[in-house]
Order: sequence, then C-alpha cells, then structure tokens
Amino acid sequence: MVLLAKIALGFGATVVLAGAYTFREGLIRVDVDETRGQGHHVHVWAPAAIVPMAMHFVPRAQMLRAGEQSAKFMPLVHAVAKELQKYPEAELVEVHDGSQYVRVRTHNGNLLIDAEEPGQTVHVSCPLATIDDVSRELAAFAPAS
Amino acid sequence: MTHRTRNLFPVLAFLAATFLFAPLGTEAQTSSAQSSTSARGERWLHVRVISTNSKGEAVRVNVPLELAEKVLPAIDHDRLHNGKVRVGCMDCDGVDVRTIFEAVRSSKDGEFVTVQSNDADISVMKKEGMLFVHVHDKNKPKHSQVEVKVPMKVVEALLSGSKDELDIVAGLHALAGQGDVELVSVKDDENTIRVWLDSKNVTTD
Repeated sequence: MVLLAKIALGFGATVVLAGAYTFREGLIRVDVDETRGQGHHVHVWAPAAIVPMAMHFVPRAQMLRAGEQSAKFMPLVHAVAKELQKYPEAELVEVHDGSQYVRVRTHNGNLLIDAEEPGQTVHVSCPLATIDDVSRELAAFAPAS
Repeated sequence: MTHRTRNLFPVLAFLAATFLFAPLGTEAQTSSAQSSTSARGERWLHVRVISTNSKGEAVRVNVPLELAEKVLPAIDHDRLHNGKVRVGCMDCDGVDVRTIFEAVRSSKDGEFVTVQSNDADISVMKKEGMLFVHVHDKNKPKHSQVEVKVPMKVVEALLSGSKDELDIVAGLHALAGQGDVELVSVKDDENTIRVWLDSKNVTTD
C-alpha cells in the first residue's frame, strides 16, 4: 500500500512538474471561427515546448525540403523573432478597414495576430521563442548559398 | 524514510511547481503595470493613417527603430539589399542630388526654394539642422497640406552609401539619435497621415 502511494506520488509530482514546464514555455493557439457557410471552427492549442522537440523526429528528407522552401524568408523570420523578443509588450500593427480588422502585437513574449472580417475571425498566438527556435532549425536545413 | 520526511514529498512537489510557474505570474503583473513609455530609452517610429471616409479606415504601425535596423539587412528583395535600397535617379535628368544636398548642408540656414502659384505653394528650407519641405496644394476641395521635416544628419546618413543607393539602415541609425520629432504630416480631404518618432511603444492619438 505504501509502495503504491509512493509510486502515485512520484507519478503525480512528475505530471505536475512536466505540466508546469510545458505551460511555462507557453502555448501555441490557433482559433478560426467561421460563422458563414458551413461555419467551420478550428481550435488548436498545443504546448510550444513540444514543437522544437517534435522537429527532431521529422524525417531528414522532409526537413531538407522544408529548409529549401523556406530558405529565402527564414533569415528574415529569424531576425524578426529574435528582435521582437526584446519587446514583449508592443502594439505593432493595427488596421481598421470598415468591417475588417487586423491587429499584430506582442504580449507576454507571444506574437498575437487577430484578424476579423464579417463571418470569420482568426486569432493566432505563438511564443516568439518558439518561432525563433523553429526558424533556426529550418535555417540549419537550408541549402548553403 | 521516516514518516515526517515522507510527508514532505507533496510539499516539495508543490513548491517546485510553484517555482516553475512563478515567472508566468510575474510577467502577467508586469504587463498589467506596463507604461506606454519604453523603459530602455527605445526609439519608436510611428505611422498613422486615418481616413475620413465613411468606412473609417485607419492604419497604425509602431516599429522599434532598433528592430528595423537589425531586420532590414535580412531582407533581400527587389531593390532592397543589405539595408540599402537602389534608386535609379540619384542623377535625375542631369541633376545630381548628392551635390545639391552637399551644397544645402554646407550653406547657412535659410529658405532655398519658394514657389507660389495658383495651384500650389511650395517651400524648402533649412533651419537648426532640419530640412523642411512644405507643400500646400490648392487644387483639392479641402486644401491639402504636406509637411516634411527631416534632420540633416538623417539625409546625410541616407546618402552615405555608394552612388545610386540610399542607406536605409544608416538613416535609421541617425534617426535613433534624434529627439522626439514629427517627420511627415499630410492633411487633405481624404486622409490624415502622420509619421513621427518618440519613445512610446503605443500610438497616442
């Protein structure tokens, strides 16, 4: 009985610590709500910590292909993500155009993009550190120029 | 293991979790108490376009100058390479822009160009290290006003590249050394456009 309690305690503590670490790294959120047509709703919440880890399990051929396709703009993405980390709270772009609205900002070290138009809203949130990590990983697979 | 130490396990696990979560809480508090004035003396370039039409279009862009300085060299597209933009008319119709600028830079403060006509009034002047361009277009129903104010050091830095090139990064670097300044102001019957520089990370209209 005592042994079972110990195992449960160890497991519980591990889960708590893993959860704490995961949420400390932040979340990637993609929310797409469509109220027109068939009204698709897409909600993806994923711990940002798993993305760089998961990239290590992607087949090398696929990574090379992704690196090649993104080679042109990945240095720019990397530079923007790296620099934006210095500005964890900033309003970058806000556009109102009648019923359409786009807002790009940073909050708590996350890049937040909100886009709204009649019948559709899109909200994306991603930790800047994750974008930086991913762009760096992809750049490593880009063909040497 | 004694009974007492065994009881410490949940407490230790809780403390460890609290420790790991702690930065999140701190960030949240910091963000709520955030001031609009940047703490590290950052310089921000703001662009605001407000349309007076019925749709109420508005564009607000806030860019940290340091970020622009670091990111621009990473862009390699069309005429923009390594933070420099290639322009085809630095020697427009036989007029050497560099030579004219050099003449303006070395001359004393004063009004260099004054055009007054039924269509528009235009003036270009230099005063206290700033180059001012003023255009008053009389053709539109509501007369449009364009005011451009550029520090001479910025123009100098922009022209510091090789021939037929504008060194945007050098211009931004020179701009960062300036105080709060309104660079461009355009007012007409359709739009109000402002480009200015200050230390605030949000647009305060």
